[in-house]
Amino acid sequence: MSDTAGSRREGDHSDHSPARRHRSSRWSHSRKRGIDGHLRAPGAEDPSEHTCSRDTERSQRHADRRHESFTTPEGRGPVSRCPARDWGSQVEQEEEKERDMQRYRRRILGSDASHRERKTSSGSSESCDSREGESLETDETILLRRQKQINYGKNTLAYDRYIKEVPKHLRQPAVHPRTPNKFRKYSRRSWDQQIKLWRVKLHTWDPPSEKGQQQVLDDMTEMALDDVMDIELDFPSLCEVEQPPSSAPHSRSLQEGDCEGTPVKMSRTDSD
Amino acid sequence: MENSAEDYKIQSFDQETQLLLKTALKDPSSVDLEKVSKIIVDQSLKDQMFSKEAGRICHTIVQAEAKQNNGNIFRRNLLNRLQQEFKDREETRRRSIQEWTCYVTFICYIFDYLKVNNMPMVALMHPVYDCLMRLAQPDALMKEEEVDCLVLQLHRIGEQLEKMNSQRMDELFYLLRDGFLLQEGLTSMARLLLLEILEFRAGGWMLSGTAHKYYYSEISD
Repeated sequence: MSDTAGSRREGDHSDHSPARRHRSSRWSHSRKRGIDGHLRAPGAEDPSEHTCSRDTERSQRHADRRHESFTTPEGRGPVSRCPARDWGSQVEQEEEKERDMQRYRRRILGSDASHRERKTSSGSSESCDSREGESLETDETILLRRQKQINYGKNTLAYDRYIKEVPKHLRQPAVHPRTPNKFRKYSRRSWDQQIKLWRVKLHTWDPPSEKGQQQVLDDMTEMALDDVMDIELDFPSLCEVEQPPSSAPHSRSLQEGDCEGTPVKMSRTDSD
Repeated sequence: MENSAEDYKIQSFDQETQLLLKTALKDPSSVDLEKVSKIIVDQSLKDQMFSKEAGRICHTIVQAEAKQNNGNIFRRNLLNRLQQEFKDREETRRRSIQEWTCYVTFICYIFDYLKVNNMPMVALMHPVYDCLMRLAQPDALMKEEEVDCLVLQLHRIGEQLEKMNSQRMDELFYLLRDGFLLQEGLTSMARLLLLEILEFRAGGWMLSGTAHKYYYSEISD
């Protein structure tokens, strides 16, 4: 008889690579990890990269130190991401996942409790103060997808530089990007918008490079104009954002758009 | 479960094996856990009475090993052996109904006793359901031992199973209802057992007082 336990297992952990491959050409030079998950040596895959070698080294050392916290429960290292076929391993994976989830939840909910939540008051459906325990997201497929999206954002040099530059206790709610909390209940649209905004904001910390501005624009053109209109409605705070303390000149167009509050300014057709 | 190795009914084993089991219960890392799990599984497949004991013993050894050195060699061996037997279950049933029902009893005890994060192991849920569904097939309902095994296990773990996956429980009970109503050739005992389990589940996994009296008290003439 076939192994029904294996074939019916929910929550497919595999298949991270196809999505990544899809993005590699556009993003490869600001990603600090290759497709195989290993940190890249400075200038390894993209010789045309202009990053200062000292910066890359520092970011790598920092990333090495940070390795533990960077790895997420779903993407736990060399242990096969595919659900195991044998029961022994399946149960072990179950156990580990539950432990990680608990630890994760405690960490995220713990840090949430001490911050004001203007940024997440998006849309009309969810409560702004979703008190822990009652309205947490627990659907595995959703959590996995959200974590994947978060990983894309964290797997950037910009993110690395950001967290080095601005330690958590110095972060200001509207100014500094905050990783969306995957355990909260949000609609799909709301979540996707939060991720997009977060990633756009992170670009402020991109390493200085010729392609930098194009990247920001690329990011923004990912959003349809509809979405951009909605963003203004959902995130009025965005229009009041102060200039982030960044030395990168390429983000200027984004900042100008912010101050004037007209979504059109964020589109590609904007000349500057 | 208790610590004292004397609590477990392992008298059916020879002295040497008894000693091995007792050591495994107290000091798992000092014994060959693969051998221990083999001994326990082998005996459970022969002796239905032992299955319950086996469940408790396994639970204790797993806890002890985890505590001692965070290991799970025993559990892993146990589960993989169970999986192997699961794959061969149809053949086991053909060979011996008794061995087959022993297997089902054992895997259900393991499901019940070996919890992970205070919940039954998800990996076992579908296999257990598969076994129970097999017991609810027409050919199995004709055999009293299989019906007996089925209802016994449902009494013990039905509620837990339903919580994990109510759809499969519904499917199982469709079979039971159909069997009860439509199947020719069932013994009256088999029908009684089926009726009782139907009422039991309908009552939220318990029998009302009157139903209990009906099924379980002696009929005085």
